[in-house]
Amino acid sequence: MAAIEMTPVVSVNRDGRFAKALIYIGGGILVVAALAALLAPLLTKWGPTEIDPSGTLAAPGGEHLLGTDGNGMDVWSRVLHAARLDLGIAVLAVALAVVVGTILGLLAGYLGGWVDDVLMRIVDIFQAFPTFILALAVSALLGGGFVNLVITIAAVNAPAYARLVRAEVRTLREMQYIDAAKTSGASTIGIMWRHLLPNSLTPVRVIAPLNCGWAMLTLAGLSFLGLGVTVPTAEWGSMISLGTSDVVAGRWWTSVPPGLALLVCVLGFSLLGEGLQERADARRR
Amino acid sequence: MRILRFVGRRLLQLIPVLLGVVVLTFLLVRVLPGDPIRSILGPNATEADAEAARVRFGLDQPIWKQFLDYLGGLVTGDFGTSIQSGASVTGEMALRLGPTLELVVIAVTIAVLLAIWLGIWSARRADRFGDHSVRIFALFGNSIPEFWLGLVLILVGYAALGWFPAPSGRVDPDTDLTPLTGADLIDALLTGNGPAIGSAAAHLVLPVLTLVIGVLAPLLRSVRASALEVLRSEAYAAAAAHGLPERTLLRGYLRRATLVRLPSLAALVFGTALGSTVLVEYVFSWQGFGQWALRGLLYRDYPVVQASVLIIAFAYVLVFLIADVVHAWLDPRVKI
Repeated sequence: MAAIEMTPVVSVNRDGRFAKALIYIGGGILVVAALAALLAPLLTKWGPTEIDPSGTLAAPGGEHLLGTDGNGMDVWSRVLHAARLDLGIAVLAVALAVVVGTILGLLAGYLGGWVDDVLMRIVDIFQAFPTFILALAVSALLGGGFVNLVITIAAVNAPAYARLVRAEVRTLREMQYIDAAKTSGASTIGIMWRHLLPNSLTPVRVIAPLNCGWAMLTLAGLSFLGLGVTVPTAEWGSMISLGTSDVVAGRWWTSVPPGLALLVCVLGFSLLGEGLQERADARRR
Repeated sequence: MRILRFVGRRLLQLIPVLLGVVVLTFLLVRVLPGDPIRSILGPNATEADAEAARVRFGLDQPIWKQFLDYLGGLVTGDFGTSIQSGASVTGEMALRLGPTLELVVIAVTIAVLLAIWLGIWSARRADRFGDHSVRIFALFGNSIPEFWLGLVLILVGYAALGWFPAPSGRVDPDTDLTPLTGADLIDALLTGNGPAIGSAAAHLVLPVLTLVIGVLAPLLRSVRASALEVLRSEAYAAAAAHGLPERTLLRGYLRRATLVRLPSLAALVFGTALGSTVLVEYVFSWQGFGQWALRGLLYRDYPVVQASVLIIAFAYVLVFLIADVVHAWLDPRVKI
């Protein structure tokens, strides 16, 4: 569960076909997952929190494709419906982190001086923790629920984006076209918005998909520990948590399917991110 | 001498960061909702009981006074008294660190060794079948939720095959192990307790395996990338063109140059592993630091939260400092 890291993927294959394949496979997985999430009500017979009175922990097959869980709810339906929450929170949180982090990074990098000092010291404090531990602490203190989870995961990730964008801006700031813009009378905000922002986003575009995968794992991890989304709302982490006692008894169907769904989605983001990174590396060369 | 000065300077830089952590945790844990007192009192407790408990833990004092008391205690290594258990936080923490360090250190060591071996192996076969398999494995390892992997391993290793003990505890209670360090395997080895060695090792297998798989993937990617960089460097090409034997090339050039980046990677991975242990301890009912910190957070046990957050931050930045020193020592090009 590595958060944000910039490891150059040294590609051997230079024609970019491999990168393209990665992007298509990863993107394909995500499109299918998003469709499944949207169409969940059409693909399932039972509602995600509907209780089948005829019994709990029914084995897969027959009335329930993947059986029922300890509360008598349909596992297949819950796995599909959970995709809405898991994908939604992760993507929203990363988007928020990118926006906040980019703004802070632009300000720190371009203005410099005390703004830079203050912002970077705050970033230092955030980065004195392993990211999952930080997410754990923030969400335990802030509480669960949709909005709080988006804020928690965004807050944990924003500092890394701030640092990334700041580093880009500091190189760009010295370029001649910025001087040219300045002498032609462009305002500070204008320079940041029109000239620095578009060019400093290149690394962000590569990191963000990888980060979405990490955000899904974090969200599920928090819910697994009982801090994120709580039962009976359908969410993969809390479903896995509910199935923990069944695993010891050898019943696989309550916790294996949600975990697999999570793994596949995160894999989609990883493939997409890896493909984008490989393409960016090939261009740089 | 230069290294000493470097360490000194870095330690000085850490002080404001750690002070920031101390102030921020202290304030946040009190400002955000949640009351540590209510959770230790029964449902029938009156307002007067709650007030008495607050006085007992000094929570009736103004916040600046509480902060000064806390800081004063920190200087002498006193983290206060746990509100939940009423015991000294320093003592409780010492009990909990052993089991967690045992997990993390064993897992990170195995993962680092495996990553060096597999990463270099994979880079030397770049773009061939073996390399592709390693990369796909790394992608899966990066994407797998550890806590779920732990459950799957329990399902297979305990429920289906019965090869490993149930995920509840770290050693069989009937082995009569005398606790020394808290790390059961080490205690068993130190006391020469044969049955306890076997039992502790068996209990370790699944949680360690879970952590190793989670931690191995990012390491493997990095080792492979830096080995490929070395393989494409002019120095390596020149050495190979001189006809140096394969073994010299591998040991003297490839492995040594690849290892230079390892300390900073190991530090990063140590942090990831610390985060993962909270989940892995939960899955395997491993009574370690993570479980303790989690309970503290859930019950708003102020002293426990403050102590665990500070210790984790301290350990994390310290590991990075050590990594930088080792890096500077390994690589003469690094100026410190």
